[in-house]
Amino acid sequence: MTGPADTPADENESAHPVTGLDDVVHQRVRLGILTIAHEARRVEFGYLRTQLELTAGNLSQHLSVLETAGLVEIEKGYAGRRGRTWITLTAAGNAALAEEIARLKLLITRVETANGQ
Amino acid sequence: MLTNMNAKINYSAIDDMLLIRNPLAPIGLVCKPVCMTTNSVPAGGDPRRLLADARDLARRVRLAQRVTWLPLLVLALVIFGAIPVHRYGRAVVSDCQAVGDGQVCKVWLQTVTFYWLAALVLAYVVIAGGYLRVARARGVDARVLPYAVTGVALVGLGFAFAAVWVRLHPAYPEDPSAFVQFLSRLLAPPGAIGVALLVLAWLERHVALLLFALGYLTVVLVPINFGWGAHWGPHTWFVPHLVINGGVLLLGSAGFALAQRLRRPR
Repeated sequence: MTGPADTPADENESAHPVTGLDDVVHQRVRLGILTIAHEARRVEFGYLRTQLELTAGNLSQHLSVLETAGLVEIEKGYAGRRGRTWITLTAAGNAALAEEIARLKLLITRVETANGQ
Repeated sequence: MLTNMNAKINYSAIDDMLLIRNPLAPIGLVCKPVCMTTNSVPAGGDPRRLLADARDLARRVRLAQRVTWLPLLVLALVIFGAIPVHRYGRAVVSDCQAVGDGQVCKVWLQTVTFYWLAALVLAYVVIAGGYLRVARARGVDARVLPYAVTGVALVGLGFAFAAVWVRLHPAYPEDPSAFVQFLSRLLAPPGAIGVALLVLAWLERHVALLLFALGYLTVVLVPINFGWGAHWGPHTWFVPHLVINGGVLLLGSAGFALAQRLRRPR
């Protein structure tokens, strides 16, 4: 793992990008949750469940992992009589998503460079 | 192996490093359809696929956030509503100067000014409220507030420009330069509506709306009137422009609504 000040670009010539991947974020469903929350700014639980094709229990567990890591905030409210749960990305979540995307891109670049040689 | 750039790297090798291998995987028990795990499970592909999935999810969110027909419909109604106000509104005439056989005067369309200010501010409030309501009913938030703020700011800027120009008009009673005429058309309410639509297209990464807004601005700025209203007199000369501008927005609204209906899963 590298220091927090390092960016994937800084590490281009040193550690391989795979060493800096965050296990919390580097997971298909959780990456999907962060991506949707980033794009939507605030997203409803039902929308996430439909788009990611998950059961409510499974989605709740992934959200719990992200909330514990401080990457999302979960807010419960009502729309009329219906209870609704809204998920918002935190600043840390935003940074973690940007970092993950940058590392994935770097990884692809490295693979393509290696394949081209 | 991965740090040796001379070596041939394939995705299965990367998957081995990226993903936590489950000993049950070879016998097909790694993840049943109803699995309940929060561990890092196989990502279902390589980094390229993860990125493609993320892009697809982002695209679907953007589609869910769009209510493009709403601003076009509301703004078309505002433009059509301006026709009777232009026709019957109060005009204040001042500073008349003799030119040739006739005279040139400064005309302040008082009622028209107040109509555009009030109607456009109200329209942007309705658009922002409607956008948020529809998007939230779909389960996401909308990116409409910067658009509404830009729209209101452009309305204010347009009227401030007109007021300053009328007061300081250095060439009066001569016609203003072509550049000033272009700027005044761009900042007049129909032009400002088009500029604000460009902002909405950028916020939503909406290429179709960008092309529509550019087409609409071309109609507003040229301006295209098919020769209508050339000799209609001082009380109706503006009608063709307003009908065409409002008509383009109305057609756009119908087109985007239809496209959205066709795209919606049945």
